[in-house]
Amino acid sequence: MAEQNLTDTIDFDRSVLGVDYDVGTYEVTKEKIIAYAKALGESNPLYLDEEAAKAGPYGVIIAPPLFYNMITIQAGPDPKVNFGTSGFDGGQHVEFFEPIKAGDTIHAKTQIADVYAKTGRTGTMVFTVRRTTFSNQDGEKNIVMDRINVRRDLSQ
Amino acid sequence: MSQVYFEDVEPGYEVGPVVKNPTREQLDAFTTVWGSQTGRFTSDEAAQKEGFSGVILPGNMSMALLAQVLTEWAGPDGKLKRLECDFRRYVQPGDTLNCVGLVTDTETEDGENRVVMDVYIENQRGERALQGTALALLPNRP
Repeated sequence: MAEQNLTDTIDFDRSVLGVDYDVGTYEVTKEKIIAYAKALGESNPLYLDEEAAKAGPYGVIIAPPLFYNMITIQAGPDPKVNFGTSGFDGGQHVEFFEPIKAGDTIHAKTQIADVYAKTGRTGTMVFTVRRTTFSNQDGEKNIVMDRINVRRDLSQ
Repeated sequence: MSQVYFEDVEPGYEVGPVVKNPTREQLDAFTTVWGSQTGRFTSDEAAQKEGFSGVILPGNMSMALLAQVLTEWAGPDGKLKRLECDFRRYVQPGDTLNCVGLVTDTETEDGENRVVMDVYIENQRGERALQGTALALLPNRP
């Protein structure tokens, strides 16, 4: 309850909470998947070898799980969190559904799922949870990803 | 690729540690695919202006290396279903990364064999650069 009360005191635009915004469409090429897989030192032929992928469960090259990070999307809604002096990328929470495949057209939408404040040893921090859902041309969900931005006050 | 089965796994079972040594060449290839212009990932000079000794890896690149370890472990008939990572410390090319999954719970529900893990990447100084949880689904032994 204390945390909830603390969050109530944070100045941000509550009208964007839970509202989905279209943030872009992206064509997935096999060249992009292969280059990404090679950069990570992947060895799975389903990511790298078109012939092997053809004989595999999807019939086409699939992307490694975190490939969605390569998809360029627009910034999406801005909750205008008015707190602190600096922000950092606190992490990602992701759930995987249908793999992203070569030739897919991926649609992305983003909402501000949550904004909350917490006080710990280093003072108060405000967490913004930005939830992006990636789906393919058949309407199948590929990825639901929460990206957590943390803002804190380093001036004190 | 070999296959691990649900029957092989119980709380306390450990995935890894699998060592990853990301190189500058890998980082450059990664940011090229990404199209990232972010200085601290692409330029030593820009990274030094931000207080780092040189370029650092994007958090999502380290997380992808951890996902690679978990996906390879789960095998062709297993699946990485969920991965939650907090980015705690930065990672640089040349770091030695121990990627680990520690099974904390197993259960069968809705026809899925679920393996719950604590996961982390520890660097050569024993610091956890990434830390979080994962859920993997494994097949039954035939």
